Amino acid sequence: MTSDTDLEAEIQRLLTEHDRIAEQGITVQRRDHLVVLGGEVESAQRRDEICRQITAHFPDVEITCDIGITRAQAPSEVEEIS
Amino acid sequence: MIRIAAVGDVHVDKDVMGRYRPALEDLPDRADALLIAGDLTRHGTPEEARCFAAEFGGLAVPVVVVLGNHDYQSDQPDEVTEVLTDAGITVLEGEATVLEIRGHRLGIAGTKGFGGGFAGACASNFGEREMKDFVATAERYADSLSKALNSVECAALVALTHYAPVPETLVGEPLEIYAFLGCYQLGRAIDSAPTALALHGHAHHGSERGRTPGGVPVRNVAHPVIKQAYNVYQLLSEEVDAVLTGAG
Repeated sequence: MTSDTDLEAEIQRLLTEHDRIAEQGITVQRRDHLVVLGGEVESAQRRDEICRQITAHFPDVEITCDIGITRAQAPSEVEEIS
Repeated sequence: MIRIAAVGDVHVDKDVMGRYRPALEDLPDRADALLIAGDLTRHGTPEEARCFAAEFGGLAVPVVVVLGNHDYQSDQPDEVTEVLTDAGITVLEGEATVLEIRGHRLGIAGTKGFGGGFAGACASNFGEREMKDFVATAERYADSLSKALNSVECAALVALTHYAPVPETLVGEPLEIYAFLGCYQLGRAIDSAPTALALHGHAHHGSERGRTPGGVPVRNVAHPVIKQAYNVYQLLSEEVDAVLTGAG
């Protein structure tokens, strides 16, 4: 059984190693009885899959998902390198 | 004047196809080449590489990439490279390429790189075989980058890596994982040549700007850091118009 202190690590490894997720850029923070997820992913499907898999693997954990979808608009400015 | 567009960590799979393309179609009006700093795919499969090639290939400007750690996940980096090369994308690993742009030679040297850490908190070539292998891997990639950077004659030289060459562009990441995000040997390699700009990805929560100990500008172009399809950098300029043509 996963101990409280290992929970964040177990979730972090699930997010990286699960075939349908493979995300290394998600933050996992404990706040009281909640686990808050942060960071950005490339699609809404990926964000939803993260929440689905955490719920499936850790059914007793209540999660709050603050994961955003990275914007992909063209830039409007250029940076001069000198 | 040369303008290069850059992004990293786009992690393309079927679900991402079409997201970047509108911005990429306008890219030739804004930049002369597109450089991508690794993690092109999620799991490094040839199928995902084909998705990446469809999304980022076929542009009217050259596309030059390095692979990232995600692109090695399925142990098929050669197959991934072949798919990309067949699509007209230049893949660098310990190599350099030169692009002729508006009468200037733009040199680009690239490697994936590796971790190992930075001054004050770096791995040493000591103890268990596994630790020696870890450090040797970092040094092998860094040495290949140095050789590639010093192999070209050009007007402007760019280093392209996935892992970070300096800790400044990691600020925002947990200190505990810096050693998995880059190594000082890459910075030393960049400083061994007259490099004008170093681009990397990998650190999704890092910072955009830094410099090597030798003063070379470093930019973390990981997509979650730049928060747009790509950034544009201008080299060899006498003056810069900060607003891009065609920007809406």
